[in-house]
Amino acid sequence: MALILLPLVFSLMAWFVPSAFTRLFGLFATGVALVWSVVAVCYFQPEEQILIDFGLRFVRFSIDSLGFTMILLTNAVFLLVYLSNFTGKIVNDRKFTALALLMQFGLLGVFTTNTILGFYIFWELTLLPIFLILYWFGSFDKPRALLQFFLYTLLGSLAMLLAVIGLMHATNQQTYEALLVADINALGNTSIWLMGGFLLAFAVKIPLFPFHTWQAETYTKAPVAGTMLLSAIMLKMALFGLLKWVLPIFDGVATDFWRWPIITLGLIGVVYGAIVAIRQSDIKTLFAYASLSHLGLIAAALMLHDDNTNQIAVVQIVNHSIVSIGLFLAAGIIEQRLGTRQMSELSGIAKVAPRFAFWFGVLTFISLSVPFTAGFIGEFFLIKALFNAHAVTGFIASTTLVLGAVYTLRAYQVPMFGPSKFASFQDLNWSEWLVFAILSVAAIYLGLAPQCLTDFVAHSLTQPTH
Amino acid sequence: MAKDLTLLLIIALPLIGFAINGLVGKKMPKTLVGGLATGVVFAAFLLATTLFSGLHGTQIVNLFNIIDFEQLRINASFQIDALSVWMTLIITGIGSLIHLFSMGYMSHDEGYYKFFTYLNLFIFSMLLLVLGSNYFVLFFGWEGVGMCSYLLISFHYNDAEKGLANSLAGRKAFIMNRIGDVGLLLALFMLLGQFNTLEFLQIGKALETNTALQGGAMIFITLSLFIAATGKSAQIPLFTWLPDAMAGPTPVSALIHAATMVTAGIYLTVRSNFLFELAPFTKDIILYVGLATTLFAAFMALRQNDIKKVLAYSTVSQLGLMFVALGFGAYTVALFHVTTHAFFKALLFLGSGSVIHGMHEEQDIRKMGGLAKLMPLTHFTFLIGTMAISGIPFLSGFFSKDEIMAQALHHNPVVYGVLVLAVTMTAIYMFRLYFLTFQGQFRGGEALKSKVHESGLSMTLPLMVLAVLSIFGGLLNLPGLFFKGTAHWFDHYLSHGTFGLSAVHNAHLDFSTAMGLMLFASAIAIGVFIWAYLTYAKKGATAKADDALTGWEQLSAQKLYVDEIYNTLFVKPLLALSDFIGKVVDIQLLRNGVYALADGILNTANLTRKWQTGFLSSYLFWMVFGLIIFVAYYILKLSVWH
Repeated sequence: MALILLPLVFSLMAWFVPSAFTRLFGLFATGVALVWSVVAVCYFQPEEQILIDFGLRFVRFSIDSLGFTMILLTNAVFLLVYLSNFTGKIVNDRKFTALALLMQFGLLGVFTTNTILGFYIFWELTLLPIFLILYWFGSFDKPRALLQFFLYTLLGSLAMLLAVIGLMHATNQQTYEALLVADINALGNTSIWLMGGFLLAFAVKIPLFPFHTWQAETYTKAPVAGTMLLSAIMLKMALFGLLKWVLPIFDGVATDFWRWPIITLGLIGVVYGAIVAIRQSDIKTLFAYASLSHLGLIAAALMLHDDNTNQIAVVQIVNHSIVSIGLFLAAGIIEQRLGTRQMSELSGIAKVAPRFAFWFGVLTFISLSVPFTAGFIGEFFLIKALFNAHAVTGFIASTTLVLGAVYTLRAYQVPMFGPSKFASFQDLNWSEWLVFAILSVAAIYLGLAPQCLTDFVAHSLTQPTH
Repeated sequence: MAKDLTLLLIIALPLIGFAINGLVGKKMPKTLVGGLATGVVFAAFLLATTLFSGLHGTQIVNLFNIIDFEQLRINASFQIDALSVWMTLIITGIGSLIHLFSMGYMSHDEGYYKFFTYLNLFIFSMLLLVLGSNYFVLFFGWEGVGMCSYLLISFHYNDAEKGLANSLAGRKAFIMNRIGDVGLLLALFMLLGQFNTLEFLQIGKALETNTALQGGAMIFITLSLFIAATGKSAQIPLFTWLPDAMAGPTPVSALIHAATMVTAGIYLTVRSNFLFELAPFTKDIILYVGLATTLFAAFMALRQNDIKKVLAYSTVSQLGLMFVALGFGAYTVALFHVTTHAFFKALLFLGSGSVIHGMHEEQDIRKMGGLAKLMPLTHFTFLIGTMAISGIPFLSGFFSKDEIMAQALHHNPVVYGVLVLAVTMTAIYMFRLYFLTFQGQFRGGEALKSKVHESGLSMTLPLMVLAVLSIFGGLLNLPGLFFKGTAHWFDHYLSHGTFGLSAVHNAHLDFSTAMGLMLFASAIAIGVFIWAYLTYAKKGATAKADDALTGWEQLSAQKLYVDEIYNTLFVKPLLALSDFIGKVVDIQLLRNGVYALADGILNTANLTRKWQTGFLSSYLFWMVFGLIIFVAYYILKLSVWH
């Protein structure tokens, strides 16, 4: 339990830390959380799950291997976000630290709660801090840009709330295990509507086309730390919800109904995001659309609801977190040093900042899913699963290989290569370097030994459902 | 040493070189960096020769499982057989020579250690490609060499003048290769669907027992594989990246874009022979694509004035020739030409590198001439390379090309006729290149002439070794008409030691036809040589400026405008589509639609005037507050109701 509550405690403590120590405190808090979860996972038997039950109706937690994977991912992401912004101003702000840690708590809750209402509550709990972070630290010149994000989210949340209530009402159950065995198919069309409610909330968060328009603007105008939190971990809530809750529970009539509509939207996102990314002039916006493309693939593959594909999807989820931290860090570094994100104003950085050029290059190739990186395994097997479902879907998904190369290489080459426009560019400092190195090692490790992760999560993904 | 250990060492050595140079190469002295990189590849070559001499049947070495699911297992495993060992010999043998050459060629480059790091990574990836025992490991290597190719083409991205062009050339190569990779990916999925495995041997054996797997599925699989091959091996329609890839340093052009990586498509086809044999339709496609490529590329080479561009189009053309052989199902013939081509094209590229190095980075043959006296060793070896590729009798290219021509004559006289045209053009552009570069008067000015120098031993030694190989490479597979005992050694070696190939037989011509064929081919090569001597050496003809060309010369110099056509047909529409979707659909339609909706909601609630005047925080606060109340209400209600 301490595993989940720790960030909440730290979040409250953050208000009382002297401002000179805020950044150290943040690093300490996220570091402790990560170490704690790493220790916990060492004692964890993946065949079993940890159940935390206080005898309260709605407050129940259970941690299985998928949950543990997400906990580790969350805690690692937070530490990396702290590290990568360590020399920035934002981490020295206690408002940010308190909010970020609160968000971490909310996320851990989402990934470990055992009740469907708890899932909803923690889902909502993560929204408050990110809104405030965006509002206080973002550069939203017009309120309606932020309002757009808010409205979308609100719409999704309302739909999900109705679905949660409906589901509890219809089945008279609320824990994960009870919902799994409940006879949802007997509900007929109602189950389709209920699943639709969840899917609407997830479609906004994944995001799926056409519910994505908040993403590019929000990513671009958020502070880099906020963009990282959003894309590396917070939006993973939706994929997690799909994988852990919605698909197993609604297995049957509803999933069959929604499978192809969602796959279609996911694949539209794959192609649409990639094509839009090709001509973006703002490097952060470009990466936002790239994200749309990458996540559409995962969402589409998840809808196949096949054990092995789900396991690989987890690899790809982790890979996407690695890629988004890395690429947004690179974009942030460029913006922080040069004060611009416009590709047309950037050129020849590699010459003045070779170390940055190297690590940004490594992350670029990780994002391109070259061999020996997690994305290679992930993309190969996800596209294979889609191909097995239907040759055309596989073919559409595989265009990401080509289009991805077009926009990713442009995003790297235009700022880095060519004649140098800048006399000086402060090269990576130790914390930025460390983040890039950790990300690269993680991606390569998963690329060579994906089995360690797929086997681990298999314990919770291959349970016999009804 | 056990074979499996030898094999793993062969693969591991370049990786070790890569790791050491990559991590600490920056701080090491240059000779150590280059020596280490060259040493590991050469050591791998020596180990490969022991594999070669002890070759006996096919052996699989399983390293570990990459993916082990209930229904699907993919291993990191390797295969020792005649084909993989032969490719390994070429890669490590020619590879170590080119590494040695690079020690001299790159000696003044600030990215010296980086260059050798990439080069070793390339060798490692290429070895994975040819040594893998299944299509997945092959795909690993396939993508890996593509990445290394990108890194090495755009190696001089910082160059003040050409930096941008170099990096664009790298990008073009990567993207065009990725188009081919989609083909490979789809082929792999279909193979998995049909056979539930990607192991070459298992697929081949499954096909032996199950004859039902023919027709449609096989055509799709083999066509997809061939699309992959057109990407990597620069065939129509995906060939335009290779000439641009000459932006990379010349040793890279020799190693990756002539001797090894670009032959991966031929390797893939030979390796998959048991699939292609079941899809005659695909073989026909291969034949005609190869034929068109060899013809058009040879035509484009006629009026190129960049020494490396001539060789690049020549490579495309020669690869096309190999595909023609594959189209006839003459797998060993294609691989024989892969081998001899690796010798003489590596020689020609390294020779051009030596010229460029000696000419202080000048690549335009209009500014060369008379280099025979200034660079005697380079001249002599380059001449041998030119003669070998042009098919001067008894050099390596003569024999390997003759085999292909013989297959063509046997199967389809029209194809033979077109090949004669292509082969004639090959001799024409090669001798034109040779005479304009090495004979006649020096045209680069006195200042440059005084600085031109012959290259050092680390560069000329590989040239000499390759020259010897280019002369005697034909001995590997002598035609049957003179040398009954030793003839067709290579055909036997390959077909007896490679799965599927023993079932395929090359066509053999009767004595008089074969004899006539050789005499005719010799006549062409020697005739062109004499013509070129008269035109360029005696009459002193020189290359014209590009804008002075008309008619066919202009078409050749402008490469049939293929780049321009692709630009109009594919690149520009894609960019326009991107602009349209990004600006119109995404922002104006979708995003502004949501804005309008948001404004509508706010207006209806008559909140705009009061709340939208900058107090976003309170406005946010109320929304979140409302949400919390809402949630709390339901929690309470549900708890009671429950």
